[in-house]
Amino acid sequence: MPNKHFAVINPSKMCQPMGAVQALLGVRGAMPLIHGSQGCSTYMRFQLCRHFREPVNVSSTSMSEGTVVYGGEANLLKALETIWNEYKPELIGVTSSCLTETIGDDMGLIIHKFRQEHHDEELPPIVPISTPSYAGSHVDGYDKTIKSLIENLAYSTKPNDKINIITGNVSPADIREVKEILELLDCESIILTDNSESLDAPHTDSVSFLPSEGITVDEIRDTANSKATLSLCKHADSGVKFLEKRFDIKSISGFFPVGLQSTDSFISSICELNGCELPVKLEKERGRLIDAMVDAHPYNYGRKVAIYGDPDVVAALARFTAELGMIPAIVCTGAKSNRFLDDMKSVAEESCSLPVVLEGCDLYDLHQQIKENPIDLLIGNSYGARIAKEENIPLLRIGFPIYDRLGAQRIPIVGYKAGISLVDTLANIILEKYYDESGHEIESE
Amino acid sequence: MQSAVKSSKNSEKSDKGNEKVTNSSKLNVSVNKSLIKDLFTDESSSDEIVIDPVPESIIKTLESRLDHMCVKKSEDGGGPSCNTASVPGIVTQRSCVYGGARVVLMPITDAIHLVHGPIGCASCTWDIRGSRTSGEDLYKTGFSTNLEEKDIVFGGEKKLADTITELNNLYKPAAIFVYSTCVVGLIGDDLKAVCREAEKITKCRVIPVQSEGFRSFNKSLGHQLACDAMLDYLIGTGELDGKLKSEINAQPTLNIVGEFNVAGDLWAIKPLIEKMGVNVLSVLTGDSCVEDIANAHYADLNIVQCQKSSNYLARQMEEKYGIHYLKVNFFGIEDTAKSLKIISEFFQNPKMIEKADEIIKTEIANVRSEISHYKKRLAGKGVAVYVGGNKAWSLIRAFEELGMNVIMTGTQNGLPEDYERIMETVSEGTLVVDDANSMELSRLLQKYQPDLVISGAKEKYMTHKLGIPFCDFNHDRIASFAGFKGFINFAKELNRAVSSPVWKFTPKKYHGIVKNE
Repeated sequence: MPNKHFAVINPSKMCQPMGAVQALLGVRGAMPLIHGSQGCSTYMRFQLCRHFREPVNVSSTSMSEGTVVYGGEANLLKALETIWNEYKPELIGVTSSCLTETIGDDMGLIIHKFRQEHHDEELPPIVPISTPSYAGSHVDGYDKTIKSLIENLAYSTKPNDKINIITGNVSPADIREVKEILELLDCESIILTDNSESLDAPHTDSVSFLPSEGITVDEIRDTANSKATLSLCKHADSGVKFLEKRFDIKSISGFFPVGLQSTDSFISSICELNGCELPVKLEKERGRLIDAMVDAHPYNYGRKVAIYGDPDVVAALARFTAELGMIPAIVCTGAKSNRFLDDMKSVAEESCSLPVVLEGCDLYDLHQQIKENPIDLLIGNSYGARIAKEENIPLLRIGFPIYDRLGAQRIPIVGYKAGISLVDTLANIILEKYYDESGHEIESE
Repeated sequence: MQSAVKSSKNSEKSDKGNEKVTNSSKLNVSVNKSLIKDLFTDESSSDEIVIDPVPESIIKTLESRLDHMCVKKSEDGGGPSCNTASVPGIVTQRSCVYGGARVVLMPITDAIHLVHGPIGCASCTWDIRGSRTSGEDLYKTGFSTNLEEKDIVFGGEKKLADTITELNNLYKPAAIFVYSTCVVGLIGDDLKAVCREAEKITKCRVIPVQSEGFRSFNKSLGHQLACDAMLDYLIGTGELDGKLKSEINAQPTLNIVGEFNVAGDLWAIKPLIEKMGVNVLSVLTGDSCVEDIANAHYADLNIVQCQKSSNYLARQMEEKYGIHYLKVNFFGIEDTAKSLKIISEFFQNPKMIEKADEIIKTEIANVRSEISHYKKRLAGKGVAVYVGGNKAWSLIRAFEELGMNVIMTGTQNGLPEDYERIMETVSEGTLVVDDANSMELSRLLQKYQPDLVISGAKEKYMTHKLGIPFCDFNHDRIASFAGFKGFINFAKELNRAVSSPVWKFTPKKYHGIVKNE
């Protein structure tokens, strides 16, 4: 097929408000409000519900033709009033859309007006987040939201001896894993933002319309007093930079901690900041991971992998699969990002292999590459299932959205312990597909 | 709530859907009631449902929302207020006009569905319809012009034209539908002009769909715009594919309108119709090809399954091509039988009528024995239905046939005519709710404590968290529920939802509390 220059075919990115909503769902008592037409909130809820298999509430200013003509002020004021009265939130995050950005609504000004109308009442913080859907991707929407939360709320009081962790737009299971590691390291932290409970909630005796757990407004305020900020994803580090610039807080951002080396550097950063040694339990986990890598190497070595999804996750998985002796042959992300290119360069240097790097590309591009450079395994979200079927290769589902398999919200990839499961899973997929029932490698025709 | 169904005063163009039913539906030749009644006499014929009197205010909610809920009483047939804008700030279950248009056209299998807008509109909605195909699968691919900042500033027409040409070269599709999104409406790209030009260059049908998301609070307008796109650019343009008109009309033909083949529903309906000796000329739009729809105007009859999305199309085709239409419903045994009957009687062919009776008799006997096991477990259970389309009324009888009671029903985008249908169909004491938001829904479910909820993905997990069994009747449905065969699946799925032992471990049913009350 000829090359394409214009169309996006089977997108591997979403728009900014989607990332914003995901960040806000990690704030306790927060109601995300999309200032736009109803479809934005509804279709995002649809995607989020079927991935996380949890109820997800996102409100909308329900803009329609008449209101577009006169500007969205009346709708936004009314929406704030409704949310405040009906849902009693601890925070309202107001994200814009392509519609309201284009008509030029000044959300900050409208929110200010709302505050003035209610000057004698105690309102929750209302944070405007500019997320036009025609710029960037959901990755930027997430980043902007974290930054807006800090910018609007953080203020310096007295040092708290904590470390701020910005997780990036990752799964609840990964956030839970990070929290466990921090606990083992005896590190007090503030997690920005933490959806590990709200988007992977136990079945209890109540239903809540707002995230029942997550970072609190007070904790967001307190981020200005921490001793450092660590971003697990390089594309979620605007907040880190802001805190450094504004409050002189040490900042670190590295590879998303998947696999051996990336987890090593994450944990050693914390140890260094906290002045502690690697605890025995983590040391054993690390040892077990290496043991698992040894067990798996005969099967994994030399297997070609294609990985697609969010830039940080793809780069980290590429690094990990390279550690396992696999060949990250094709990597693809929908976002446009120089940092991704840099990351992939360093993975290439480490592993002495040259992956095909698709940046700002879609699944069509990925598929064309796979046709030219056959691979053994595909890693990414559910949308890759058709490629996998057509090319007769297995698909390991990691990323968002995953709607055709269970457990997306419960399967971690961060840290040593999750790394062990990941190695086993990878090797077992390879065994299942490329080895026969008596354990012999099936020879390709 | 005294008189008939209320409609908003400022109701929009979408209210075309309110037009009174035209003569054609009166063509419904009277059905041989006694035959059907005989067939349906059953040990558990539906008893009157007894529900405790409901207080004035059904649940705690906003003042402006109170008259969007009502309980059917015998003395007045009034329904809830409807077709008004949702309250800004509420977690609405509604979608947008673009979404409405897309769901109607998306099942056309050999077309490209190109979303002209920023990436989000396409990436949140591609391949979510659940419509199955027996051939082409181009419709499952997600296409976007991916408008970026510079396109918003300088306009997206050039990019759109280039994208259309490129896609035509890549895929050689039977047609390219181009959907307008919110921002395209604002920046004023001339969709029609670009499509017209692109059609000249590509020689492929390029069809504009003016579905700017914000055009109405009611996505029914989107359905209508999708129908307009087919009426203006597709239906009537067919070249018969080498066949002669006489050949096509050699035996009675019909179009199935408003059937989207979700989970394969069409495949349970089509064989029944064909067995009667009627040729299905085209389906609008489930499992359909562009060329079939282009030839749809040659049919003798239209039958309308989803009357929410497609009555408008049938009415327009009647006006333009003089094709009569019948309203049918293939959910439930009785309604499926009735639908087959009225189709056979329309053609006034004694042989066909005989055949229909025969099919009905055999199929019903089969369904009876197949569902008896499930029925025992389902009988007496209360059901709450909350859906986007015609299912708010078309499912009621199907539940009754399983001995279940519909205690609550409602829709997100109901028009007055929809609520008239609902009020006619439901039993006394049934709660009817319009445009319920997520908080209202959960309060209603806790108050009415149904044994089963029928709805879509957005409502599924809230229902589960409340400890209530759930059955998806929307995009994510996994089994065909239409026709006689589908009814067996339907009973099976409902039983699967209700009878799972997992509900023994979720004791909060009937004890649930809602925070933020």
